[in-house]
Amino acid sequence: MIPRRLRMWILIWTPALIVALNLSTYPKEVPLSAGLEAVVRGFFSDVIARYPAWVMLLVGLAALVPAVLGLARRSKARTFNIVLLVLSLVLFVWAYRAGVTDEGWSLTGRTPGPGWLFQALAVAVGGVAAWFWALGNPERAELFVWNGHQIWKLYRANWQGMVGLGILIVFGLMALLAPFLADHGYLDPNAQIRGDGSLDSEVPLLGPYHPPTTAYYNWFGTDQVGQSVLAEFIWSARISLMVGLLATLISTLLGAAIGIASGYYGSWQGEIGMRLTDVFLVIPWLPLAMVLAAAWGQNYWMIIVIIGITSWPGTARVVRSDTLRVRELQFIERARAIGSGDGHIMAKHVLPNVFPLIFANTVLVVAIAILSETTLSFLGLGDPLNFSWGTMLHYAWSNGAAGLPAWWYLLPPGIAIILVVLAFTFMGTAFDEVLDPKLRKREESGDTAGRRELGAAEAVTHAGPGTEKGAPA
Amino acid sequence: MDKRRYFAKKIANALLTVILVASFNFALFRILPGDPARLLMPKGKQPPEAVEKQRKTFNLDKPMWQQFIYYWGDTIQGRFGISFSEKRPVTEVVSERIWPTVVLVGTGTIIATGIGIFTGVFAGWRRNSKYDVISTNSGMVFYAMPTFWFGLLMIMLFSTYLRWFPTGRMSEPGADLQGMEAFVDLIWHMTLPVFTFAIAWVGEYHLIMRSSITGVMNDDFALTARAKGLSENTVLWRHVVPNAMLPTVTIVMMNIGFVLSGAILTETVFNWPGLGLLAYEAMTKRDYPVMQMVFLIASVAVIVANLIADITYYYLDPRVQA
Repeated sequence: MIPRRLRMWILIWTPALIVALNLSTYPKEVPLSAGLEAVVRGFFSDVIARYPAWVMLLVGLAALVPAVLGLARRSKARTFNIVLLVLSLVLFVWAYRAGVTDEGWSLTGRTPGPGWLFQALAVAVGGVAAWFWALGNPERAELFVWNGHQIWKLYRANWQGMVGLGILIVFGLMALLAPFLADHGYLDPNAQIRGDGSLDSEVPLLGPYHPPTTAYYNWFGTDQVGQSVLAEFIWSARISLMVGLLATLISTLLGAAIGIASGYYGSWQGEIGMRLTDVFLVIPWLPLAMVLAAAWGQNYWMIIVIIGITSWPGTARVVRSDTLRVRELQFIERARAIGSGDGHIMAKHVLPNVFPLIFANTVLVVAIAILSETTLSFLGLGDPLNFSWGTMLHYAWSNGAAGLPAWWYLLPPGIAIILVVLAFTFMGTAFDEVLDPKLRKREESGDTAGRRELGAAEAVTHAGPGTEKGAPA
Repeated sequence: MDKRRYFAKKIANALLTVILVASFNFALFRILPGDPARLLMPKGKQPPEAVEKQRKTFNLDKPMWQQFIYYWGDTIQGRFGISFSEKRPVTEVVSERIWPTVVLVGTGTIIATGIGIFTGVFAGWRRNSKYDVISTNSGMVFYAMPTFWFGLLMIMLFSTYLRWFPTGRMSEPGADLQGMEAFVDLIWHMTLPVFTFAIAWVGEYHLIMRSSITGVMNDDFALTARAKGLSENTVLWRHVVPNAMLPTVTIVMMNIGFVLSGAILTETVFNWPGLGLLAYEAMTKRDYPVMQMVFLIASVAVIVANLIADITYYYLDPRVQA
């Protein structure tokens, strides 16, 4: 029987995921005042879910491989594997549909079509797969749910973590609901100047650098060409958050793989991994990213890749040191004794044990990635076609907003960056404390000034919290 | 460990990393898209003979392994080519920019470490007190704040509204001041950039110092010191702080290396004529020879700083010597 909580999670998160994905690709040209009918039609328009074909091919492969492996090994969750197979089929058909262009099939093609239908189908089948996985592995599902619930209970008690989560939800909703908060037409300077009624509101045109007024689009004033700063601010949230999250994904995958491999293999392979990490650790991040961004062109996909491949060494080092600890544990020896291969041990024994660390670290890396994107965009290396908070600051700086002084153009993006970075930092430290029992103990022992003596006594019996800090890496 | 062996090991390590970083530098400017000979020349149409000549002077017509050897020869002899935005040798362009960066970064680091360590010690010692909560959370805000944004705010507040300080540069263009006047003028121009730079690091040093104080303040030696009947102040400043300084000193040392490249943002915002501004200008003009050298200097600075940190650590922490 599937655990009750998991059933609730699947039933809530599957539709929520469909809505979120639809919102993130919602057509930009639907004006706000177009009415409910147009909004609903927007959700089923051809523009929704127009991902390039290779994305679906990759995701489809990611579903196909475990399905085939599971069926070949005759694993317990047979239906789950069959559902996964179906999922990969759906994705492959979608990839085929997307790739059909006039000149034959192309990997980067994104043909208009009922993408929304495929997307909804894929996510729904994914939900069904999770359901059957839980049916096939009841004890693991039970453990998973119980762990999740325990972590959430600990996390909830951490005020910093909850504040971070709250801030993040606000900005996440702003990013997702951007098409309903500000008309994208306001980001086109020509539309503003033309004044041909393509914008939906009757807001009078203000000159450049007009201070804030009470009219909605002028809450944050106007920028150097008379565009609404509020509209820029809202649409910027999308790029800033997306770049941060996707760059972190790349960086974490790279860092975790290199960290685990170089920690697990002690001999020359490990040495190579460590040297590589060392070299990348001493190469100053900003000059390297500047060189790459200057050479590789300027769109946000390139920025994501650049931040991803330059920010992994920190993760790799942390993961490596934890892998060194896990490698010496007894169950690894046991696994090796019964003839498990290196790949199996790393995936099934080392990874689950270092995973909490990777997770907490990932949340912190998001904060760094968002700051990195802001920095690159500020230096003028961002995507000139899409606004991000960094790009806004770049325009503000290069057009002399500080000398005017146009505080309404400088403050909003900066404060948003601080809040989002703080939110991720808070969440990262909260997860650190929740997932690492050692840290939790220290929190408790150093709780109040009055209990300091007690904490000292505890430190005598335990190894002492400061001992591992001794030598530099 | 034996002193000579320890140093030899650290120095060998640093040298190996320098070699690897320089090789990476070689590779980086060759995997960039486009013909490297064209990259090393100004933008716009160039006669084919000139491109050929450029290819010859930089040995780009030779096979890769020979290029690699020539690259090393050039690097060791300090030949980095001609900056094509200034039409002067890169070494010359770079060397006159080092001094302003050292002034800015040096002053900023001293101020940041001073303030950060001091506030961090009290926050760690009085953990969870009102002072700790306020100072640590503002430390987090400083840490999360983009440096350049804070710099812009400073310019807006102190230069535009209050008109106390200039908006940038090291001195007024055309002004020729001597002696004391020049020094006062420098201080006047430095205040905002140094403050901006310091604020960016105060948060980090505060957090590091705080966590290392909480890490050691319950150790055995602190308990012993208290048991001897020493006052809380003596325990803190004579016993806990020296021990907690160890990791902080290492991190400060290591940061000094990164600080050279971290100054890019402060220098860009304040138009401070240092290495960071040079890197930014080189990037906007696609001046690859200059970028290459700045990149190398910034990386070597980090390695040297790491080495110095290791050596200092040897003298500070007797446990390493044992």
